[in-house]
Amino acid sequence: QNAASPIMEELIAFHDHALMIIFLISSLVLYIISLMLTTKLTHTSTMNAQEIEMIWTILPAMILIMIALPSLRILYMTDEFNKPYLTLKAIGHQWYWSYEYSDYEDLAFDSYIMPTYFLEPGEFRLLEVDNRTTLPMEADIRVLISSQDVLHSWAVPSLGVKTDAIPGRLNQAMVASMRPGLY
Amino acid sequence: MAAVPEPDEPAKRKPFKLLGILDVENIPCARDSILYGSLGSVVAGFGHFLLTSRIRRSCDVGVGGFILVTLGCWFHCRYNYAKQKIQQRITRQGMKNKLLYEGTHLDPERKQNNGNSSN
Repeated sequence: QNAASPIMEELIAFHDHALMIIFLISSLVLYIISLMLTTKLTHTSTMNAQEIEMIWTILPAMILIMIALPSLRILYMTDEFNKPYLTLKAIGHQWYWSYEYSDYEDLAFDSYIMPTYFLEPGEFRLLEVDNRTTLPMEADIRVLISSQDVLHSWAVPSLGVKTDAIPGRLNQAMVASMRPGLY
Repeated sequence: MAAVPEPDEPAKRKPFKLLGILDVENIPCARDSILYGSLGSVVAGFGHFLLTSRIRRSCDVGVGGFILVTLGCWFHCRYNYAKQKIQQRITRQGMKNKLLYEGTHLDPERKQNNGNSSN
């Protein structure tokens, strides 16, 4: 899915970056395997190999640094706490979500999945719900996620958020959508 | 999640992925990096062979050239792509502000003109 929040854009860019590194490493490994399979040379009395050991220590370290630095940057970015415009509580039940907007008015509702036989043409199977959660766009929204019974997980792929709903624990996620839409 | 295609619509084909993982069609800069890397690999490998006539070592140089050129083009292209995205975001925000605030005291052009006239 396309990114609808700045965090998801960063995640997609990081994924592309990591995938390119993985592709290059895989190509190198495939090439080395083909070399090993096609050589007639053997060396059964290797005593020390300082140069190759230096290479295969320093090179993976550099690759890991190249992957770790953007990863840590995004990790700290997701933990940034901006002053939220709105707070939404999402509580997991078996098997529905209940939402509470308690900032301005006491507004709470349950959100059940729409059974397949109730769907209109064009609606998404297993994704439609009876009461949608409406949130303002271009605003930092704090989502407090918990559970009433067992472990659940609250996720919106295009906004780059996935947080576990754990009974007895309140997890916080920040959500900011860049454009209007159905997510 | 994809809707069923209409009868006269062409069926969406699966994107081509190098080694089954790298989607060169949809990832920005991937196709260009791989193509430049391949060119660099051929130039480096063939050039080395012409100079030394050693086949295996030239293949090694070719693969090394592929990795280095691909990586270099990738970082260069992604850096420019990121700068472009930031510029697009600033432009989009500026257009939105202009539309929203035109004629009011928050009009960005009015602020700019006031700044120029005071100088």
